Amino acid sequence: MGSVRAELMKLVRRPAAWLLLAVALVLALTFTYLIPYASYAGGTAGVRTVGGLPAMLPARLVGNSLGGLPVFLGALVLILGVLVVGGEYGWATWKTVLSQGPSRIRVYGAKLAVLAVACLVTVLAVFAAGAGASALIAAAESAPADWPSAGDLAQGVAAGWLIALMWAALGGLLAITLRSVALPIGLGLVWLLAVQNLLAGIAAPLLSWVATAQKGLPGPNAGSLVAALGAADTPGVERLVGAGQATIVLVGYLVGFAILGGAILRRRDVL
Amino acid sequence: MTAAIEVRDLVVERGKRRVLNSISTTVPRGSVTGLLGPSGSGKTTLMRAIVGVQIVRSGSVLVLGQPAGAAALRRKVGYLTQAPSVYDDLTVRENARYFAALYGYGATAADAAIRDVGLADAAGQLVASLSGGQRSRASLACALLGEPELLILDEPTVGQDPVLRAELWDRFHALAAAGTTLLVSSHVMDEAGRCDRLILIREGAIIADDSPADVRAAAGTTDLEEAFLRLIQEREEAVATPGDRAGSTAVANERQTP
Ligand SMILES: Nc1ncnc2c1ncn2[C@@H]1O[C@H](COP(=O)(O)OP(=O)(O)OP(=O)(O)O)[C@@H](O)[C@H]1O
Ligand SMILES: [Mg+2]
Repeated sequence: MGSVRAELMKLVRRPAAWLLLAVALVLALTFTYLIPYASYAGGTAGVRTVGGLPAMLPARLVGNSLGGLPVFLGALVLILGVLVVGGEYGWATWKTVLSQGPSRIRVYGAKLAVLAVACLVTVLAVFAAGAGASALIAAAESAPADWPSAGDLAQGVAAGWLIALMWAALGGLLAITLRSVALPIGLGLVWLLAVQNLLAGIAAPLLSWVATAQKGLPGPNAGSLVAALGAADTPGVERLVGAGQATIVLVGYLVGFAILGGAILRRRDVL
Repeated sequence: MTAAIEVRDLVVERGKRRVLNSISTTVPRGSVTGLLGPSGSGKTTLMRAIVGVQIVRSGSVLVLGQPAGAAALRRKVGYLTQAPSVYDDLTVRENARYFAALYGYGATAADAAIRDVGLADAAGQLVASLSGGQRSRASLACALLGEPELLILDEPTVGQDPVLRAELWDRFHALAAAGTTLLVSSHVMDEAGRCDRLILIREGAIIADDSPADVRAAAGTTDLEEAFLRLIQEREEAVATPGDRAGSTAVANERQTP
C-alpha cells in the first residue's frame, strides 16, 4: 500500500500528468462538441454536421465520451503509461527505487494500480466535461436533455476504463521493453495513429486476411466496443466484432500486456 | 558479529570484458571504507555487486551475513548511484517524500535527510533547476533516507565545494560512529585520508587493502597520492616481471594471483 501511495503522490505532483488530462479534455470537447456546434450554429444551409443537433445532446453522452478512446484518447493514456513506467528509466531512478525499497513486482503493481486510478479519473473527467457541454448545448437550443440511464453510464465508464487501462498497460510494456521514454512514446503513437489507420483504411479493404487479422488487434476491438455503446463518426470507431467478443479480447490484451511487462521487468537488468 | 561485507573470489564480466578479476575483501561494521582506483577500474561494478544489482560470474558476496541482493537486505542497504538518480520534474522535497513513502517512512524522515545534505534552502526547488552538486546531494538525501545499516556511496562528493565535502565527511563519520557501515568511492586523495580503511583497485584487482597509515608506510611515503602512484607502478612492474614482488606488503590480493 505504501508503494501505491508513493506512486500516486508522484503522479499527482507531475505537471506532465495534468497536461495530458487537460489535452484529453480539450480535444474531447473540441471535436465532439465545439466544432460540431459551431458549424451547426453557424448553420450554413447544406453543410450540415454529420449528426446534427441530436448528436450533441445529453442522450448521446455515453457514445460521445467513448469515441476518442480507440485512437486519440488512447494515444494520450498510452503516453501516460509510458511516463509512469518509463520515467524510472528516463531519470535513471529504478536503481534507487529498488535498492532499498520493495520488490520489482510490488513497484510495478503499484504503477499499474496508479495507472488504473489515472485512467478512471480521465474517463470520468471526459464524461463530466461532455455532460457539461451537452447540457449547455441543450439549454442553448432549448432541446430535450434526456440523460442516459445510470446503468448505461456505468457500462460506458467501465468500457472506457477498460480500453484506457489497456492502452496504458501497452505504454508500460513498451517502456519496459525499450527501457526508455521517448522511443516507446514514438512507436506507440506510430502504431495507434498511423499503422492502425493504414491497416483499417488501406490494407483491410484490399486483403481479406488483413481484414480478418485486424479483428484480433486491440484498436479495432476497442473501436467495436465503443461503437456498440453508441460512439459514431470518429476515426477508429467501427463495429467489426460484437461487444462481448471485443470486451474479452480487450481484457485479454490488458492482462497480457501487464503480465508480459512484469515478467520482462523482473528478469532483466534495469540499469 | 559477521562483517558488513565479505567478498570472496568475485569475478564479474560486463559485455565481453572481465571487469572484476577474482576480488576478495572484507569490510568491518561501523567503519568508513574508501574505494579508490583509476577511472574504469571497476569501483562502480564492485558496488553494484555488493548492492546485488550486478550479475556476477563467480565468487560470493555476503552483505550483513546474507547473500547480496537478498530480500532481507532491502531495508538495510542504501545505495547512492554515481549518476544522480532523482526525478528532474519534481522538487527536492517531493523526491525525498516519494522515496520515503516508498520505503515506508514519513515526511519527517524525508525532511531530515534533506537537512542532512544541506539542501533545506532548496527543498522547494525543482531538481531540474539545481546545480550539479546540489543535484547529487538531492540524490544522496534519498539514499540516506531511513538510516540503512550499510551505505554504498558511489562518488558522493563529486562536484561539491571543500566546505560541503568536509561537512558530508563529518556526517559519514557520525553515521559510522552510530554503527552504520559506509563504503565510499572517490577519486580525491584528501578524502582517502579521511577513511578508516582503503581499498585500492586497478583493472579489476585489489592492489591495496589497508588503513591509510599502512598504505603510506607500505609505499614508503607520507603522501597518499604518491603512495597510490607507487603502488600502481610496483604492480605494473610486478606484472612485467612475475615473481618479483618484494616490498609490497600491502598488496592484499597477492595470494589470489596465480
Ligand atoms: N554495461 C557495461 N557493459 C560493458 N562494459 C561495462 C559496462 N559498464 C561498465 N563497463 C566497463 O567496466 C569497467 C569498470 O567500470 P566501472 O563503472 O566499474 O568503473 P569505475 O571504477 O566506477 O570508473 P569511474 O571512476 O570512471 O566511475 C570499465 O572498463 C567499463 O568500460
Ligand atoms: Mg564509477
